[in-house]
Amino acid sequence: MPTINTGLAQVSNDFLLVAIVAYSLAVLAFAGDFAFGRSKTRAAGAAAEARVPAMAGAAIAGEAAVAGPSGAGADGLPAAGAAASDGPAPVRPAFLSFQKEIVGVTGGGQPAATSPGRWVRAALVATFFGLAAHLVGVISRGLAVHRLPWGDMYEFVVALTCVAVVFFLGLMIRYRAYYLGLFVVGAVVIALGLAQTVIYTVAGPLVPALQSYWLSIHVTAITLAVGTYFVAAVLGIVYLFTDRHARRAAAGRVRAADGIMGRLPAPEVLDRLAYRTVMFAFPLWTFGIIAGAIWADQAWGRYWGWDPTETWAFITWVVYACFLHARSTAGWRGWKATVVQLVGFCCLVFNMVGVSLFITGLHSYAGLN
Amino acid sequence: MRIALILLFLLALGSVPGSVLPQQGVDPAQVQQYFASHPALAPWLNRLGLFNVFAAPWFAAIYLLLFVSLAGCVVPRAFRLAHTVRAQPPTAPRNLARLPSWARYETALAPEQALAAAASVLSARRFRVRTADGWVSAEKGHRREAGNLLFHLALLGVLLSVGLGGLFGYKSNRLLVQGSSFADTVTDLDVYHPGRLVAPSDLAPFTIALDKFNASYVTSGPDRGQPAAFDALIRYSSQPGRSLQRFDLQVNHPLVVDGVRVFLIGHGYAPVFKITDGTGHVVFDQPVPFIAAETATYTSEGVIKVPNARPEQLGFIGVFLPTAVDTGGQLQSAFPAAVNPVVSLVSYAGNLGLDSGVPQSVYQLDTAGMHRLPVRPQGLSPGQSIKLPGGDGTLTFTGYTQWITLAMTYDPGQLPALACAIAALAGLLLSFFVRRRRIFVRVRAAEGGATVVDVGGLARSDAGGGFETEFAELTGKLQSVHPGAPPPGTPPPGTEPSDAGPDGAAQPSRPREEGE
Repeated sequence: MPTINTGLAQVSNDFLLVAIVAYSLAVLAFAGDFAFGRSKTRAAGAAAEARVPAMAGAAIAGEAAVAGPSGAGADGLPAAGAAASDGPAPVRPAFLSFQKEIVGVTGGGQPAATSPGRWVRAALVATFFGLAAHLVGVISRGLAVHRLPWGDMYEFVVALTCVAVVFFLGLMIRYRAYYLGLFVVGAVVIALGLAQTVIYTVAGPLVPALQSYWLSIHVTAITLAVGTYFVAAVLGIVYLFTDRHARRAAAGRVRAADGIMGRLPAPEVLDRLAYRTVMFAFPLWTFGIIAGAIWADQAWGRYWGWDPTETWAFITWVVYACFLHARSTAGWRGWKATVVQLVGFCCLVFNMVGVSLFITGLHSYAGLN
Repeated sequence: MRIALILLFLLALGSVPGSVLPQQGVDPAQVQQYFASHPALAPWLNRLGLFNVFAAPWFAAIYLLLFVSLAGCVVPRAFRLAHTVRAQPPTAPRNLARLPSWARYETALAPEQALAAAASVLSARRFRVRTADGWVSAEKGHRREAGNLLFHLALLGVLLSVGLGGLFGYKSNRLLVQGSSFADTVTDLDVYHPGRLVAPSDLAPFTIALDKFNASYVTSGPDRGQPAAFDALIRYSSQPGRSLQRFDLQVNHPLVVDGVRVFLIGHGYAPVFKITDGTGHVVFDQPVPFIAAETATYTSEGVIKVPNARPEQLGFIGVFLPTAVDTGGQLQSAFPAAVNPVVSLVSYAGNLGLDSGVPQSVYQLDTAGMHRLPVRPQGLSPGQSIKLPGGDGTLTFTGYTQWITLAMTYDPGQLPALACAIAALAGLLLSFFVRRRRIFVRVRAAEGGATVVDVGGLARSDAGGGFETEFAELTGKLQSVHPGAPPPGTPPPGTEPSDAGPDGAAQPSRPREEGE
């Protein structure tokens, strides 16, 4: 067996530290955007009032063009123009692309629709820089231990946060969802910080039961799925806040454009984005469980044995299945379905942390005693 | 759907005790321990089936109800799907402006040409197209519903496969000392769990002999002592009398013989003892499997029973230390590999109680009828002996060998379960990523030779949103094959409908999932 390269392992730690610092700066910059970013938002306060009646995504544009409420006309037209110059020949303003939908419906009007502001650009640079350091950290750890670097819980958290950042950047580039930065990168900083301090494990080889190529397949799928679920959970939490805010605004208790909420997109948009994210993660999770069953079959002679980790993977699967069903069941949409999604994520976290630490089972590979 | 949702929740909730409480099927010893430490609570939990959740009637009730509700939903939907797949796309509605997505433009093409061009665009995009006088109706995405049905049916298949394995499969364990062999018969197995419909004669008649077992460990660094590799060199034959074949059994590399898979699941040390009794006869000369009490150092414990010894039967309780080191007058093992093997024994003489009719474990010594011999426990290295006081004979620790535990499993439901799981995944992907769409195109000749084209669209499944993009793109594509259309971005007259209808432009992405 090749020996562990402790020098490289140290390089990995240093780069991860750099990543944490860079991500922290990105969080500050994202927060700065909320605090000091373009103040058009407040100026467009009247336009923001249009958010509540026109929540259904691209609807505003169409409605605005026809006979929308007085303020919405001003809000809708620029968005419609943007859409028209985008596609080959969208004939009616209602044909906003989903991208435009996501950004066009930000509560305060259109700030996010155009190119990102100075704060966001700075945050993006910091995030990309952090991601580069993060990737180097993951890869050098893998080179140090001569295997895929997600064998113990510390490595797993480092890898899944990397997936979360990549997924988030993908979302952001595709949907220009810059407002997510503060929340996703913030959560990543917390998770990475905990990984480095609480559950840090010295680089080591794998016990024989883990030496299988199914490990790579199983844990890679699970890591990708958890990283994606992580983003979905952050979206779900932000959704719950904006949803509450929107309902309070509808009841006339607060102004829709107030505070940070005014700069976040409509709850429906977040809800849909979270749903899409779970739709991406759920098949990965399913595949991860199947690959895990195949591996269990190779290593232990049974594909399913209700080991605590298997049980919780099953519970997680069922709860996310509940979410997918709840979202298409009348009376369950909205915050109820989102709560189900968050319960699913809690199950996931419990499976990762609780089961590994408190319940003895065949998956007790956290590397912690 | 609501009932299915509640049952799904119950299923998740019902599984929780299965992970928190020790389970009979996973670790029976822990269940006994739980009974011992919670004498008042445990019987009640047991009555509720909480020590065997996944075989409990109430758990079975939940998933059976779930699958009944699933079948009740999926089967009619399968018939409906079969019907719609055979049917032609529906007639185009008269007023396309009432559809959630709608566009209108003019082209210089004649109506028939415009229609033909639209039909070919839609066919090229894999729509099923139906053309009639003045309109084209197109739909696609039946695979979404098919995938959804496949997913749910495949889950039923997984359940059936698991049941199949439970009825016709079996599991067994066998401890095998280096240099010995065994045959796969019920009497020669240590643990045997047959399925409900398995007879002893159904067992595959193979034999396995263990030639050599190697374990290697990490020798330095923070993970010192962690196992690095296990290798069991075995010989096996699938039928008695057939020639033996060699096989290198490893942890993730099982042997398959006659459909039965043989796994390496455990290992340990078996010190070899030679015992001469008080009459001078060699009454014992064999390896004794010791069980690791602690895997980090492989400090192992075991028992020697010598019923043939005269004048008294002898019994020993021993500790085997693979790498013995003296720490302040006390021997401890420092490493799991046998670098400096030492055995320490407590000796007993008297009646082993083997004739009492009560079954005994080979790993436990019943000292009720015995008295402890006054020998100071001391570490024995290979070759060293102890002389038993009172003329009871001598014991020699001649050396050590190793043993492995093999787990044999036969599960006919395994491959069907895998196939169904893969089918479920495929169905899931189809139902998530295929989209059901209907597109209608109507053309009519307008005044002045132009042709007015109406395009209407309907997303039958758009929970994730995004149909507007697709529709806009498709409309653009149609316009590009309909020359004479006005330049992009210029809304032609008549495109601003004042009668968009209640469900017109206001809800372009109204989701209409039919998924379960």
